[in-house]
Amino acid sequence: MTVPAPSALPAVPSPGRTRRRRHRDAPVAWVLLAPALAGIVAFLALPILVVAWLSLTRWNLLAPPTFVGPDNWVRVLTEPTFGHSMLVTVLFVAMVIPTQTGLGLLMAVLLSRGLPGSAFFRVVYVVPWICAPLALGVVWKWIFAPYGGALNALLGTSVEWLTSPALALPAVAAVSIWSQVGYVTLFFLAGLAAIPGQLLEAAALDGAGAWQTFWRIKLPLLGPTTFFVLVTGVIASFQAFDHIYALTPDGGPQGATDVIAARIYLDAFGSGAFDLGRAAVMALCLFAVLVVVTVLQQRFFARRVTYDLS
Amino acid sequence: MTPPVPHPLTRRTLLGSALGLGAAAAAGCSPAAQQQRPGDSGAQRTVTVRLWDEQVEAAYRTSFDAFTAANPDIAVRTTLVPFADYFTKLTADVQAGNADDLFWLNGSYIQPYIDNDLLMEIGADFDAQRPGWIEPAVQQYTRDGALWGVPQLTDGGIAMYYNTQLLEAAGVSPAELADLTWVPGGGEGDTFLPVMQRLTVDALGVRANEDGFDGDNPGTWGYSAAQDLQGIYYNFLGSAGGAFQDAEGRFVFDSPEGRDAFGYLVDLINTHRVSPDAANTNDNGDFTRDQFLQGKIAVFQSGIYNLKNVADGADFSWGIVPIPAGPRGRVSVVNNVVVCGNAAAEDADAVTRVLQWLGSPEGATPIGASGAALPAVTDAQPAFEEYWSGQDVDPSLFAEQGRQPSIGAPTGERYGAALTAWKPFFNEMFLGRLPVEEALAQAQQAANEAIEG
Repeated sequence: MTVPAPSALPAVPSPGRTRRRRHRDAPVAWVLLAPALAGIVAFLALPILVVAWLSLTRWNLLAPPTFVGPDNWVRVLTEPTFGHSMLVTVLFVAMVIPTQTGLGLLMAVLLSRGLPGSAFFRVVYVVPWICAPLALGVVWKWIFAPYGGALNALLGTSVEWLTSPALALPAVAAVSIWSQVGYVTLFFLAGLAAIPGQLLEAAALDGAGAWQTFWRIKLPLLGPTTFFVLVTGVIASFQAFDHIYALTPDGGPQGATDVIAARIYLDAFGSGAFDLGRAAVMALCLFAVLVVVTVLQQRFFARRVTYDLS
Repeated sequence: MTPPVPHPLTRRTLLGSALGLGAAAAAGCSPAAQQQRPGDSGAQRTVTVRLWDEQVEAAYRTSFDAFTAANPDIAVRTTLVPFADYFTKLTADVQAGNADDLFWLNGSYIQPYIDNDLLMEIGADFDAQRPGWIEPAVQQYTRDGALWGVPQLTDGGIAMYYNTQLLEAAGVSPAELADLTWVPGGGEGDTFLPVMQRLTVDALGVRANEDGFDGDNPGTWGYSAAQDLQGIYYNFLGSAGGAFQDAEGRFVFDSPEGRDAFGYLVDLINTHRVSPDAANTNDNGDFTRDQFLQGKIAVFQSGIYNLKNVADGADFSWGIVPIPAGPRGRVSVVNNVVVCGNAAAEDADAVTRVLQWLGSPEGATPIGASGAALPAVTDAQPAFEEYWSGQDVDPSLFAEQGRQPSIGAPTGERYGAALTAWKPFFNEMFLGRLPVEEALAQAQQAANEAIEG
């Protein structure tokens, strides 16, 4: 009796059969996708459309919205306020991102060495990140207070940390870094733990020192983590609001901390301004900026990141 | 023959499950599924009242207990929202349809609510009660003959609270403090600044009128000058003979009188150092009150709205004297607070009955009897005086100042936007970084642009 040789490749279904099967499975696929699609439409697409419509209206929440065409766009894009807020935001991002990423990486490397007390510090670093940002802002406002503030009492000075145009932005950036660095550290720790031990052993056998191992093995393999941390960090920094609003509710001295997210809130709701149309324009501009920045980051990292740890 | 193995997840079971889940979710969300709260009675209607004052809220609860005892078909709940967020949240809630049935408003923010038909008119149902409300409050909230709120609180005028021990230490008597005059630019005839300098002491114990005084190293301040609209700068502007807004609501504070008043205040803070640096006070409206209660400020200028806070919080002997006189005498801002009916309230009859109760002497008396605030219902005011005389405090100065010439309280449909526009310039001016003339000119221009929309 002849036993047929097993086929090396599975039988390829005919195109007609595939189409019929796809047709038959489509309802199931739609049912499975429906909750996610409903969420995307209700909480992402629809709000964007509503904000786009609002940007063409004048609305103070009390009177019905009035269609004003591109007036809000012209106002926002020609007045200096928006440009100033974008500039302050870029400065804020430039202060926050390199520092929190570098510090997070450094702390992750130190914690991954298993030194005594590492477990304790892992928890301590994450505490600011899980605390309510507005509550932290209130605490930091007291720390920075020129009279009776903890920082000035400690330093024996009377520095106006939050009312000096030169110091206000670095001060709020420092609070932001302090609150976010634990989150960054967590991701780098996970990334370091995922690096296969045999790679590090091979490097050691080849005579690589600690610095070479870090620079040539660990850092390249942390590429996906770095990419993730940078993308989410940049987005979060562009949208930073809570701490900044709690520390400097009016945009800071001479607008020094008037970041775009706080400006959107102040124009929409702050102190009864209720200029929803203007705020909507700025929100859409911020959205566009974030899309562009994220795409650029993705392109930059696409050729530099490896996901293959084998 | 082997029976066919059933597919673990068929389309029918999946679709059925989804529908079942949807139905279950819908049932869970339906009103019928909501559990009735303990104590709810099927026949009882609930009216909600929103306000910003914690002390008055406690008095309201006493008042509403009496109301519900007399009107068992209506329960009244209060909602307390801090003043800092009050108007932002109220506006958003009115738009979303979540606003309370009744809510407090003041003269600064009521106009857009009237213009957009969001309030119940206080009409014929209240005619019998109206003579019992203080006339300035009725006038403040009447537009074209229609009244838009039931008067609840009246601030009277502004006065100065003082710390007796700090006065004694400086050799200043209350009688001396009660008879002070400020003169633009200081100098001859100005008795206010020299007294405040005597009351100000640096951390080494050197007084501000002595050589070697170090204003950078404060111990106690003499006076509470700050960017406080009602408590401080409106009164200086008024007593200089100036106005903040004209009859049409346009801002007119950039005037010779305005420069005199604000220049004097800025000098108190930045030149003479008798008041806290504006870095402490620009964004913290409670700083001067808190420092006064901690014995760090000798004289705290404020209204009757802080009387209970001072009485409850001060662990030192204190008293009240009139504000200093300016070139035009003692001129103070007088403000009143009303409770308004939400035009969108579902149960207009119940809302009207609660409004009538709050406008009655019986309903308003608990406010006065608790000492929380001076009721704007005339027959409820004696309870306030009785409470404070029982505490050995004479609050009649506030009422007396309220009868003096006054400066109009801020108003306008886009008042909030105007405030947002002028505040950054005032911040810089009070910090001493922007000259008064420039700051007032820029602030006025920004405020007028904002109020005109």
